[in-house]
Amino acid sequence: MSNDEIFAAAYREHYWAVSRYVARRLDGRTGEVEEVVAEVFTVAWRRRADLPPSPLPWLYGVARNCLANTVRGHGRRRRLVDRLGNDDTAHGRHIAAGPEADTPGAWVHEALARLSTADQEVLRLTAWEELAVDEVAVALGCGRRAAAMRLHRARRRLRAEIDRMCPEATADTHCVKGVGHG
Amino acid sequence: MADELELLRGANPVPSHDPRFGDGPLDHEAERRLERLLRERPPGRPARRLLPGPGLPRLVWGLAATAVVAALAVTLVLSGPGTTPAVAAPRPLVVQTGSTPLPLDRLAERAEQAAADGSPRLRKGTHVKSWSMGMSDDKPPITLPEERLVRWRADDSHTELVVATDPRYPGRPVLSDEGGEPRLVDDGHVLSDRTYPPSWSDAPPHSPPPADPARLRAYLTEAQYTDASLTTPELLDAVGVLLDHWTLGARETATLARLLAGTEGLRPVGQVTDRLGRSGQAYVCEGTGVRHMLIMDPVTGAVLGLESTFTTAEPEYGVKKGDVMSYSAWMR
Repeated sequence: MSNDEIFAAAYREHYWAVSRYVARRLDGRTGEVEEVVAEVFTVAWRRRADLPPSPLPWLYGVARNCLANTVRGHGRRRRLVDRLGNDDTAHGRHIAAGPEADTPGAWVHEALARLSTADQEVLRLTAWEELAVDEVAVALGCGRRAAAMRLHRARRRLRAEIDRMCPEATADTHCVKGVGHG
Repeated sequence: MADELELLRGANPVPSHDPRFGDGPLDHEAERRLERLLRERPPGRPARRLLPGPGLPRLVWGLAATAVVAALAVTLVLSGPGTTPAVAAPRPLVVQTGSTPLPLDRLAERAEQAAADGSPRLRKGTHVKSWSMGMSDDKPPITLPEERLVRWRADDSHTELVVATDPRYPGRPVLSDEGGEPRLVDDGHVLSDRTYPPSWSDAPPHSPPPADPARLRAYLTEAQYTDASLTTPELLDAVGVLLDHWTLGARETATLARLLAGTEGLRPVGQVTDRLGRSGQAYVCEGTGVRHMLIMDPVTGAVLGLESTFTTAEPEYGVKKGDVMSYSAWMR
């Protein structure tokens, strides 16, 4: 198969997985998912000669970089609308109280948000994208050993945050939100 | 006690069965984007590798202009009566006999002189007229003429307008493959008119081009997503990418001219009239199966156009030696 055909096959196979990856990291800004995913595959298309045989972790790595740009752009927009002061986005009114607001997941997200960006990403890749350590290494662009070490440390730090927020955290995953701010 | 990864798994905001993003066939928009990517001009690759494989749809080769020529494609779509449509197949630009080639370093000097007062200035966005050859393994090649106008606003949003038009034949129907199948549309038919929300990137080609030849070369290399040094055909492709994103100012034009003057394999061949009727100096570089011709303004050194022609026939796709694969003509 030519590079173009390999790319087209990867696109069809992984489009939705990449969309989920992006959606998970846009904090509810689902309207932007399609645009970011388009950017991911445009970058991947230009680099299609580099597409590895198992392309999904590599595509996640591309998506991570694209999201970094998006987040920077979003931050600039936020600063702008904050300055304008009359935009719903600036006041957070665009965030409807969705089903997630009171779900057990909310406080886990809060614990996750207290970690560094690097810790968050290695944990998300493992738990949400369900990548193995060697795949995490591809997505992060580091060696397998380094990825394993990062995951180990990030897990420990997440555990510490969870314990701090919810000392009796159990399998039923309920916790009082906001307890034990560190 | 629950494992922290288990807790995190249970808090996945977009599980794989999420109805909005669940695995399955692509939706219409995703299909359209894939189609567009596959039609995009592939940078710096030998022509043979770009040909579509069996079962793939027609591949648009890039941006190709033409003067006049055989209506290879015409039989496909042109059963309609009335006006002669603007669907002539490509013919390469002709260097005027007896014209004196202008060496690139001389042109770079002129560009530097022209840039002395700093105007015009660099502007984000582009205005380009292009002609693209589309090929298929079971149909004759066709040429798709388009005009694309991208304008950026102060809030970092931008608009993109793409219309089907061929400036050589104003008012005549134009061939378009909008919707996947080639068909005739009216001159000026809007193919796409979109406004994009604010976006920002510090990576080439979205970041402003530097005004230094060495840094510009590095910029163009990065714009092609490679670390390896660019071959001259690849560099010309990268110049096309740059000009599809930016309208260069006098300073950047002079920088680019200086960079090109220091690039091996670009041969001055003389004067041409480009497809918009502008007079230019032509510089030629031979790639694998493709000849690239850069057309530059003899006074300001601005790149006016870039033409790629086949130097070998591809009979299985109806392509003859000398056919124009792509042509872009940039304007301010």
